[in-house]
Amino acid sequence: MNSHKLRTAVKYLLVYAILIFFAGIMLFPFLFMLTTSFKEPKDTFNYPPRLLPRTGLTTMLDGEEVPLYDLEGDEGRKAYALVESNIRIGVFASIADPEQTWELPPIEAKPKGGFTNQEKTIFNGEEMLVYLITVDGREIEVVQVGQTARGRFVDPDNPQNEIMANVRLSQPMEQLTARPQNYQDVVALQGMDRSLTNTILVTLGVVLGTLTTSVLGGYAFARLRFPGRDNLFVLYLGTMMIPFVVLVTPMYQLMVYIGWVDNMVALIVPWIFSAYGTFLMRQFFLTIPKEIEEAAVMDGASRLQILWRIFVPASTPALATLTTFTFLYAWNSFFWPLVIINTGNTANHVLTLSLNVLRGRASDSPNLILAGAAIAILPPMLIFIFGQRFFVESATSSGVKG
Amino acid sequence: MAAATATTETKTTGHTILRWIKAAAGWHLLLAVGGVVGLGWLWAGGGTERVIVFKVVASLLLVALTAVNALAAVDLLRLRHRGRVVSLAVNYLGFLFCLFAVMHRAGGFTGFNTLANNFGRALPFLFLALIGVAISNLGENPGANRKMVGRGITAVGGILFLFLAGLATAGRALVISLTDPTTLILFVALFPFGLFLWAIWRQPAAARLGAKNVDNEMLIGWAFLSPNFLGFLLFIAGPLLFSFYVSFTDWDAFGNANWVGLGNYGRALNLTLAPLADAAQRANEVLDVRVYDELARIRLFGRSYVIGAQDKLFWIALGNTLKFVVFAVPLSVIPALFLANLLNSKVPGMKFFRAVYFLPSVAAVVGIALVWQLLFNASVGYINYFITQITTFLGLTDPKIRWLSASDTALLAVVIMAAWQWLGFNTVLFLAGLQSIPRVLYEAATVDGAGSGRQFTHITVPLLAPTTFFVLVTTTIQAMQIFEHIFIVMGTNPAGPANSTLTLVLYLYQKGFQRFEQGYASSLAWILFAIIFAATLFQVQRQRMSGSGYDA
Repeated sequence: MNSHKLRTAVKYLLVYAILIFFAGIMLFPFLFMLTTSFKEPKDTFNYPPRLLPRTGLTTMLDGEEVPLYDLEGDEGRKAYALVESNIRIGVFASIADPEQTWELPPIEAKPKGGFTNQEKTIFNGEEMLVYLITVDGREIEVVQVGQTARGRFVDPDNPQNEIMANVRLSQPMEQLTARPQNYQDVVALQGMDRSLTNTILVTLGVVLGTLTTSVLGGYAFARLRFPGRDNLFVLYLGTMMIPFVVLVTPMYQLMVYIGWVDNMVALIVPWIFSAYGTFLMRQFFLTIPKEIEEAAVMDGASRLQILWRIFVPASTPALATLTTFTFLYAWNSFFWPLVIINTGNTANHVLTLSLNVLRGRASDSPNLILAGAAIAILPPMLIFIFGQRFFVESATSSGVKG
Repeated sequence: MAAATATTETKTTGHTILRWIKAAAGWHLLLAVGGVVGLGWLWAGGGTERVIVFKVVASLLLVALTAVNALAAVDLLRLRHRGRVVSLAVNYLGFLFCLFAVMHRAGGFTGFNTLANNFGRALPFLFLALIGVAISNLGENPGANRKMVGRGITAVGGILFLFLAGLATAGRALVISLTDPTTLILFVALFPFGLFLWAIWRQPAAARLGAKNVDNEMLIGWAFLSPNFLGFLLFIAGPLLFSFYVSFTDWDAFGNANWVGLGNYGRALNLTLAPLADAAQRANEVLDVRVYDELARIRLFGRSYVIGAQDKLFWIALGNTLKFVVFAVPLSVIPALFLANLLNSKVPGMKFFRAVYFLPSVAAVVGIALVWQLLFNASVGYINYFITQITTFLGLTDPKIRWLSASDTALLAVVIMAAWQWLGFNTVLFLAGLQSIPRVLYEAATVDGAGSGRQFTHITVPLLAPTTFFVLVTTTIQAMQIFEHIFIVMGTNPAGPANSTLTLVLYLYQKGFQRFEQGYASSLAWILFAIIFAATLFQVQRQRMSGSGYDA
């Protein structure tokens, strides 16, 4: 009995480990998008990559803002302010003991024998110039074996306390930050506010239009008898299989002919006649009992009244499913807007098009690009979090029943 | 007394109705004559259509218009119900046509562009109207007073919304556009169409023309279906037929078309095989280089051959597409089946995981492709960072994959990204399929002593077959049409290094909308459709076979 319990526990642990692992894979790109969208521009190309946005700490020194670094000094590890960087430093090795080296500004090494007539020596098989440096009051003969750059750091509390250190290898003092300014920047750069409004309008139009035509058509297919109905329904089902790309070229030509190219109406009107939506509504309407309807007919209700008063309220799940499906389709569509709206006509851009332009214009600013991506991705995601049930139903209704 | 009044009333309405019907017949006669006149004008050199197909279609439409109207007029005069049906159809279509034509000419459709300008300021009033609707409808039993107040608020909000959203501008545009004679004619024609539609539709006319219940149901049925059906004809069925026609021409999107027969299809599919003297021989010595490019070399029975293709890029695109399908479909289906089984084992928090897995399929492809582009960055991207961490941990050499900039990994990167996006959706589908399998079967199997492995192969797999079939078909169809992921993630060169991410839809886009060879692009679309259709049929066939095997 106990071993059984143990086995169950292990099994659960394993199941959760796998589920969490995959959840991590699914969530990580979104997490990365969000955190990067709040990063500062210079914080975006670090290696190793860092998830959270950070900003360097600074301090005021002599009226200037200078960055702080965490350095090992005479008084242990503490914060030092970088006051001067790119100081050229020579690396000098003792002639007597080549293992011993000093790093000094070149100015502190005196040429032995003067500038014009400097002494030379053979060091490691190479002829080199000899310098004199002063260490602890003694003069030592050295040669320059290398050169590097250093930063000059001072203790902000005690400006006399100075250290020289390699800036690139020093650890800057950082704290977590968030730069919401990225969102404002991307809106200003690419007019994302306009494209957001356009996307909302287009989505609204497509969803409302699709609901209207699908409810009317679905009712006709489900409940009204007329010659040709069933053949027509088969035709509708047939076109559901045809991929969008087959429609792209002729639809583009139709838009050219009507004069809708580069107009937002081309993003709405052609897409509100959905065979899938009609099919979905018909299937749902078929499940509503006929008796209710017949009673209403007896009472003299018109067909439109029956549809509006009985069928529409009774099919909220199907309507919600169709709404989410259409919403996602309209909000995320890219190929058709790319074909039909000019790249230059930003006033008519939807979010996906703005992103497409933005990625070229801001290719060196991942923080801006991902802020733009977040603007496009977050609204459907928020709606998803609140209406999860309908999303899942729209996924499954497209499949399992059909 | 009362009865007598009723009879007189019926008589007078009867006379009025007869007059209406006669007037409608006259109207249809007028339209028929108009059709004949239009036909004459079209073939006497009127119109500016360069394309003969349009002219033929227009003529056919005009002939149909004449015939149908003549029929309507005759039948109405004979008081046949068929006349009512035809008349209603003509007037309904005529009314819609004039309405949309006037809207079109007055800029009502292109006016959508400016909607974003005013929508923001109008939006609060839309909410006001919605609040009004809520007030008058919510609650158990809204009183008459509350209904009144609610309706009032709805009306005020709605009117202000429409006004602020640009109704006034639209109205002004309409009035201005009426100075154009064609628009004016269309506008005026709205009235007789509408008027006769109403007159012939209403009950007295229906009774006079002998309408039965079946007839009315038919008319209502078509009326309900009409918005959907007309749109379907115009925006789905029509373009499909047109696309089929265009695929036999060299259409260039500006209306210049020459019939090329099967030329487009031939150009795409034309292959040749030429034997080589030795494996290193140059291809241009054996291939007609004016037609063929070298596509590949093969060795058969000790001889070397070179395969030449008229459109090398098409074959490369086809190859890449198939390669993509072969990798992306299993990668997004098999883990999904696995995860769905885990989720189905009734662990607490199942809904949470389901939601998390579903999340990627909600996001815009453009957005997530931009994210993955950074994740795939060869020097500072997270994916290479993780690989470095793992290889260091295991003591292996870091492969330092260049992902998107290397021709052998670019397509793989797209496969990973697409599988990531489709995985959760497929998981949800599988989960729904699993949940529809009756628990009883598993319980019975447990009683019979079948282990979980046997239960999976003998219960889950066969009963899940319909779902598996659907998931496979939809994922394959989706994978065949891969475009957006590649177009974004590959940056400035979507075809990728050495055309390694050139897929069929991407190639179609480049041909159709960058080089405007729309005839050729259409033929590519139909070839793609044929491939998808064949793949679907293949899967249907397999599903049937395995299904019958299970039954037996």
